[in-house]
Amino acid sequence: MSPEEIQQIFFAECEESLAAAESGLAACHAGTHDSDTVNAVFRAVHSIKGGAGAFGYTALQGYTHTFETLLSDVREGLVAIESQLVDLLLRALDTLSDHVEAAREGGDAPADAALISEMESAMAANGGGAAAAPETAPEPEPTPEPAPEAEASEGAGDDLDLDALLDDLTAGFEAPAPQAAEAPAAEASAAEDKRWKVHLRPRAGAMRNGSEPLLMLRDMAELGGECAICDVSQVPPLDAFDVSQGYLGWTFAMPADVSEEAVRDIFDFIGDDCALAIGDDVEIPAVQIVEAAPAPKPEPIAINPAPAVEPAAAASPAPAPEKAPEAPAPVAEVKSAAADKAVTADKPAPPEKAAGPASGAPAATSGQSIRIDLFKLDRLIDLVGELVIAQAMLVQRLDGASVTATEELSLLETLTRDIQESAMSIRAQPIASVFSRVPRILRDLAASTGKHVKLDVFGETTELDKTVIERLGEPLTHLIRNAVDHGIESAEDRIAAGKPPEGTLTLSAEHRSGRIVISISDDGAGINREVVLRKAIEKGIVSPDAQLSAEEIDNLIFAPGFSTAQVVSNISGRGVGMDVVRQNVKDLGGRITIDSTPGKGTAFILTLPLTLAISDGMIVDVGDQTLVVPLAHVVESLRPGEAEIHGLGSSRRMLNVRGRFIPIISLKDALGAPTGATDPRDGVLIVVDTESAGQAALLVDDICDQRQFVIKSLATNFRSVEGVAGATILGDGRVALIVDVDGLVACALPSNERQAA
Amino acid sequence: MSKTTRILTVDDSASMRALLNHALSTNGFDVAQADDGVSALEWLAVNEVDVVITDINMPRLDGFGLIEQVRGGTRHRDRPILVLTTESSDEKKARARAAGATGWIVKPFDTDKLVAAVRRVAH
Repeated sequence: MSPEEIQQIFFAECEESLAAAESGLAACHAGTHDSDTVNAVFRAVHSIKGGAGAFGYTALQGYTHTFETLLSDVREGLVAIESQLVDLLLRALDTLSDHVEAAREGGDAPADAALISEMESAMAANGGGAAAAPETAPEPEPTPEPAPEAEASEGAGDDLDLDALLDDLTAGFEAPAPQAAEAPAAEASAAEDKRWKVHLRPRAGAMRNGSEPLLMLRDMAELGGECAICDVSQVPPLDAFDVSQGYLGWTFAMPADVSEEAVRDIFDFIGDDCALAIGDDVEIPAVQIVEAAPAPKPEPIAINPAPAVEPAAAASPAPAPEKAPEAPAPVAEVKSAAADKAVTADKPAPPEKAAGPASGAPAATSGQSIRIDLFKLDRLIDLVGELVIAQAMLVQRLDGASVTATEELSLLETLTRDIQESAMSIRAQPIASVFSRVPRILRDLAASTGKHVKLDVFGETTELDKTVIERLGEPLTHLIRNAVDHGIESAEDRIAAGKPPEGTLTLSAEHRSGRIVISISDDGAGINREVVLRKAIEKGIVSPDAQLSAEEIDNLIFAPGFSTAQVVSNISGRGVGMDVVRQNVKDLGGRITIDSTPGKGTAFILTLPLTLAISDGMIVDVGDQTLVVPLAHVVESLRPGEAEIHGLGSSRRMLNVRGRFIPIISLKDALGAPTGATDPRDGVLIVVDTESAGQAALLVDDICDQRQFVIKSLATNFRSVEGVAGATILGDGRVALIVDVDGLVACALPSNERQAA
Repeated sequence: MSKTTRILTVDDSASMRALLNHALSTNGFDVAQADDGVSALEWLAVNEVDVVITDINMPRLDGFGLIEQVRGGTRHRDRPILVLTTESSDEKKARARAAGATGWIVKPFDTDKLVAAVRRVAH
């Protein structure tokens, strides 16, 4: 894996983290302040910081450090969660998102100085000074001794590493005898053989924690050290021998060119569990037999050339930082971990990146996700589709052969359906990942329009296909901007209309009979139908004498080139409008409808398929052919009366649908089928919506069924055919072609007629 | 030691796992990955390991919890465990040691130091 690829993973992670932080803060905003929620936000920011450091994004890292520090104070309960703070955190998150963007695009980092100082003063207000970083703050009862040391380590900041740690330790040890650090070299030069001595005795704890004292001896030897003395005098008789204790001690003679630092580095991890003394006239530290009690006794590490002289002074600085946090900390941790679990178990509040089931605890399952190549997943879903078809074929065949295997068949059917459902659910994600971006949009809108909008969200755990989710963001954003820009009135107008000054936007998502229904509704003024109709007539979208129902007028806003905004704002007007939204939704196999009440508000309702792999279709007969018309295109179907059919020229006919004329296309002719209905009165007309040619009525012999189908590409198996989107296998094993409605209608109609719709 | 040293890396961040994997495998280590303490324990239940490197702050089961479970078990009780963390406070280190960590590496890590730390504790 190349560094670039790893970087891509990092940015994908950033997106997830930002979404998790956003939803966590949204929960905070709504009044949820439990540790689980706060922790999720902290972890999200923390994770971005970690990656930023690893990939060298210093601006991002610096910013996240401040952000994280403030969050840490919040998490530790040092800063109270008030609405003002949540606002600050939300703004900080927006800037963080910009920071991530800048890091990804290689652009300039956003201006964050003001926010940083704001965050720092938020810490200062409660945590006791911006300089007091989170690590020092949460210490339960810092004793006077460790404080300066902790601050010294803070000074080193993020770059604190093994060396820095060593420096800290050395600083602590130096206190009683400042000359110790420089001493060895000087002493060594004075010594006859230019070597200096290290005395060590691993204690009982040296074998714990997976440590192996032998490895330290090996490392000493690798540095060029020679074992001068091995003290075995303390080894007890066999019957008193305890394998877990440390009885042996060594003295190593180190070459003069080996620094004391290098030696101390070896003993960095082992800490107090190996007594260490440096100097020519020092003894190997004494054996300490530790009783069964688990807590290691704080012991001075004798590095002073003359430890016996000032044992108290040597003792105090070294063990204190070790000892102080040790006792209370684990207890606190157990408690908070238990609390976390309890909260997670019964509260699905902060939906993270999880693709887990909607019930239960999404936050808890999120960590268990694995990343799979989408291609593999699609292959699986494809195969499952085949399995479903094969199963249906088998049932049909056995039925025909009068084989009675009802139980086995129904078992197979249940299993097949379960497999299909779980395969689909792998691709499914909660819609929260889209919804969680909405607060940011609203905040931006509030800043630019001055309209403050309250957000209500329902059904954010509703799951739908990943691809659908990814492609839903853009139309949804557009609809939301539209709702705030055009739908919700200004505060003055709202008050005049007897409404609360703050508008409300409601987002909801739910499963309804195998489809997902998403609704975006505002409590604004509703669509002004007079204005819409006038505008549509002005723009030549409808004829001046057209008789349109309220619903049809509403739908005019989806017409290409339609825009009612008096002033084209930079928010929702830029030529690309609602027609693009509708097209996006249609590309997903979905539909969009409007429900608007003047004075009360407007709701846009998106009906989307659960997945793109399986579509709904109308199975129709044309002569001896069976065809599938994707349901996403179908508006209505009807058996026309005599009066509704009008001739146009010698060969073309139009259908009058409530005063509008739309062209009739015979599928028999369009596809060149040998037989089939040519007269609209003999068949059924299916009114379809198309992308480029408006509406048209497809003439078929009959409608047989409506069912789900798996699209098989014709191009990969045969070649691409105009007017045919693909093929599918019917339950009886026959292949049926899927009509490409857009292509077929565009192809069958002369270009000048397309405007008729 | 002729056998390849096998390392389990535990981090909830996929990019951090990828970085560790890159740094360690290019230095001749055999690397396995887990995305939190729970999945690490699941992996350890059926695999052998020479060194565990774990993040501290993770969902479900954090690094301390993982160490406690490993030390409290039987199979991997004596395995060296390095803690990988951005939190460099002495308090965290003392806690890590008290919880049973063998050593630590501070993120962002330097590949040489990472490898040196692993070599230092690998049995």
